Amino acid sequence: MSKPKTDLPQGTLDMLILRVVALEPIHGYGISQRLRQISKDALQVQQGSLYPALHRLENRGWLAAEWKTSETGREAKYYSLTKTGAKQLALEDGNWQRLSEAVRLVMKAAR
Amino acid sequence: MMWAQRLLRRGRMERELEKELGYHVERRTTELVAAGVSPQEAARRARLEFGGADAIKEACRDARGTRWAGDFLQDCRYGLRVLRRSPAFTTVAILSLALGIGAATAIFSLMDRVMFRMMPVREPERLVQITRFHPPYGPAHMSYPLLQAFRKSLTSVEGLLARHDMGVRDISINGNVETASFDLVTGSYYPLLGVRAAVGRTFGEEVDRAPGGNPVAVISHRYWERRFASDPAVIGRTFRRFNTVFTVIGVTPREFFGTVVGEDPDITVPITMDAQVRGGPSWLNEPNYGWLEVIGRLRPGLGMTRARAEAAKVFAGIVAEDAVSAGSDRDRRARLSEYVELQPGGNGFDDLRRRFSEPLIILMGTVALVLLLACANLANLLLAKSAGRRREIAVRLALGAGRGRVARQLLAEGLLLALAGGVLGVFLAYGFDQALVGMMSNGGPRMMLDVAPDGRVLVFAAAVSLAACVLFSLAPASQAMRQSFQPALAEIRAGRWRLGKGIVVAQMAISVLLLIGAGLFGRTLINMYGLDPGFDRHGVVLFSTNAGRLGYSREQVQRLEAELPAELEDMAGIQSATVSMFPPISGGGWDGSFLVEGQLSAEGKDDAVHVNSVGMDFFKTFGTPVVLGREFDRRDTENSRRVAIVNQSFARHYFPDRPAVGRWVAFPGPERDTHYEIVGVAKDVKYESLRGSFPRTVYMMAAQVPPGPDSYMFSVRSGAGMAWAIAAIERALARQDSALRPVSVISLEDHVAQSLLRERMLATLAGFFGAQALVLAAVGIYGVMAFQVARRRREIGIRIALGADAGSVIGMVLGQTARLTLVGGATGALAGLVLARGAQDILYGIRPNDPPTYAGAFAGLLLIALAAAYFPGRSAARTNPVTTLRED
Repeated sequence: MSKPKTDLPQGTLDMLILRVVALEPIHGYGISQRLRQISKDALQVQQGSLYPALHRLENRGWLAAEWKTSETGREAKYYSLTKTGAKQLALEDGNWQRLSEAVRLVMKAAR
Repeated sequence: MMWAQRLLRRGRMERELEKELGYHVERRTTELVAAGVSPQEAARRARLEFGGADAIKEACRDARGTRWAGDFLQDCRYGLRVLRRSPAFTTVAILSLALGIGAATAIFSLMDRVMFRMMPVREPERLVQITRFHPPYGPAHMSYPLLQAFRKSLTSVEGLLARHDMGVRDISINGNVETASFDLVTGSYYPLLGVRAAVGRTFGEEVDRAPGGNPVAVISHRYWERRFASDPAVIGRTFRRFNTVFTVIGVTPREFFGTVVGEDPDITVPITMDAQVRGGPSWLNEPNYGWLEVIGRLRPGLGMTRARAEAAKVFAGIVAEDAVSAGSDRDRRARLSEYVELQPGGNGFDDLRRRFSEPLIILMGTVALVLLLACANLANLLLAKSAGRRREIAVRLALGAGRGRVARQLLAEGLLLALAGGVLGVFLAYGFDQALVGMMSNGGPRMMLDVAPDGRVLVFAAAVSLAACVLFSLAPASQAMRQSFQPALAEIRAGRWRLGKGIVVAQMAISVLLLIGAGLFGRTLINMYGLDPGFDRHGVVLFSTNAGRLGYSREQVQRLEAELPAELEDMAGIQSATVSMFPPISGGGWDGSFLVEGQLSAEGKDDAVHVNSVGMDFFKTFGTPVVLGREFDRRDTENSRRVAIVNQSFARHYFPDRPAVGRWVAFPGPERDTHYEIVGVAKDVKYESLRGSFPRTVYMMAAQVPPGPDSYMFSVRSGAGMAWAIAAIERALARQDSALRPVSVISLEDHVAQSLLRERMLATLAGFFGAQALVLAAVGIYGVMAFQVARRRREIGIRIALGADAGSVIGMVLGQTARLTLVGGATGALAGLVLARGAQDILYGIRPNDPPTYAGAFAGLLLIALAAAYFPGRSAARTNPVTTLRED
């Protein structure tokens, strides 16, 4: 709890969710776990942002959802990437790479 | 679509959301338990970490984009509950809205039918109506040769069609005589309009080639339904008109009503059959007989301006050619002054439009004001009501409702009211239209005007309802937006009061305006009834006979005209009886010109004279005094000296300084040497309309002039009442011929009243709406003053405690009312001054700024406002100071 948390830049949460979901169909709880694990606890996504984001992405047609029995034997809502979602992910990924590289260069040069 | 589905599956989505979030908390709990936390503690920690589940759900709903619609449904449900809780308010609101919306929709529907709507024909926007103008008489119909001349040389149109309205005529089907209305049309009529038969076929240009040789008829859809029960076997059936047997060849489509809005003739036959239908000589070759109305179809892409220029040029050529053969200089000049005018013809010939456009526009303005008034009223009531709901709104704001959401809630209530008012209004509009069409038919056959609300009318009603909703919900909603849940009450109250006052002033202004309108139109009607038209309209009955239908020859008709009045005068209760070509106020007449003794042939002077051909006792029957000389009597026969009677205007004009009696007049032309000696001067009588001036008139003796139209009117004066007079007429006719019956029987009073249709319509409706305005104003004042008194209860209590008596408290409330009325009334009167000038042409005997009317309207409104304010005033005076001071 006392670990320093990094705030996500605006708009990156959607990209991260798409990235995680791209690996395999996964439920909301799984996504939050996965984000924490991959970022080595540096990124802690609030449920208050995660679930509205999931619903928003589903509404846009980037994610599809279906109810499946989970690893604990209960029904859970599994999200998977749609074709447009995959396209969107590729687009955002490219943007992100260019942006972060540019930011890195500026930060290094100005040091 | 997905959005709508999601909205419909709202319940399921909610359950799934619940389940999804629940799963998250459950998994987190399990994880914590696995890490060694006690199950209870784990559940608590999991929920805590998760955060406010309701806020997350709300955010998810937002993300799905269904929230607005969901909220709206919720608002509506809540609104319904609120409205159900105050049934009295809701009823008043819906009724006043329904009246306003209904009236506006009704007038719109009529305007649409009469003024805007295109005929259901092919490309109506390319049709133009071509009218001949004949100064100083105005529009005139065209002759058949003129139509042919146009056809030959007018290149800007693809073709021309013409029609002649024959009115209702007798026909016989299987030997039984019945009546049907007839139109005569050229062969180009159906092809040019692009109208195809619904059953059978129509006729084409081939019928124009053989005059008299095409006894075929196309019947209207409504006639087919009414007379033939929509029997497809009607094709090939026949009817007889005089000696000609016509064959029905087709039925027009249901939506086609002919080329005049409101007429819808039953039977249409080729114009080349005119002689057969009329039972007389054909008019086809009469160059001087105007009887046709003409519509042309412009060539594609050709503008009206070009067509107008060409038509003017062509017509000038035709007229110039005609003028060469004119009998006199004056005739030539008259011919040359004629011109043609082109107007858009897509909505048909403009009879109804001409007669009713102006009244309809005035009425539309009036009903718009009434609707505005209803909205203002409702806004005020809602405002006063929202004062009572201040607590509720404050609570909702405190619980976190958005300001916008509260305002939307109020708008939703408004929308429900508007919806109910609009639906009810459409029904009212239908009934209202039926009544109006009845009124516009003016005692004649009912106009064929379909007023059932259709798509356009419904769209209009919906738009008006919506606009009304915005208007009356705006004030309360904007108040709610401003309201704070920390009650800075004094400030809010003052603000609301100011808004309420503004609305009351607006209401007063509109009411005064409507009352002024009612006053002006009412006074106009009274003035027209009260003016002296030169005859006594009481106790006179007009009628004609069925002699024409019985096949009487011209000689037989003339004998009847000579004998019937004398026969009638012998009967008890009949004071006098006569026959005349025109009764007074007949909407038209025979205008001619005369040679007058001692006058040069009056070149270029305005010397049109009204001519009437009358029988004996004409002046006695109509109560028109003969002021000099004598009336026609037994001395004046077919073979005696020719005589004439002129009216005072004629005498003044031609004989300003000499007596007219003893001079002569004569018809110009071949009979110029037949002098008619003036034997009397009669008082001036109005012929065309009550509004018009007294025309210079020459009366000839019916027996002495060449036969005119065969439809002379009989008139009877009786002091014994209408029923007695009719019985006497029937007896007198039966004595002549047992088959004779009176037709078109009408009292002279009704005959005159019918000529005042526009005035009666405007006065009646303006009066109706004026009364409605008064009621609405009373309700508005009552509501606002009651609210005002409630607001000032404490203050009034203190005043009473300090010794104010009931009178002074009531006086305070009434004083405030009077001030509001004064401001509103003055505003309305100013608007009235501007608007009434637009209606000047319809007013009669009264100036648009008539002070008594304005004062009367204002006084009436003030009286009603004070009466309405008296009740809250009285309740204020009864305030018990002790209880009010103990409150709070």
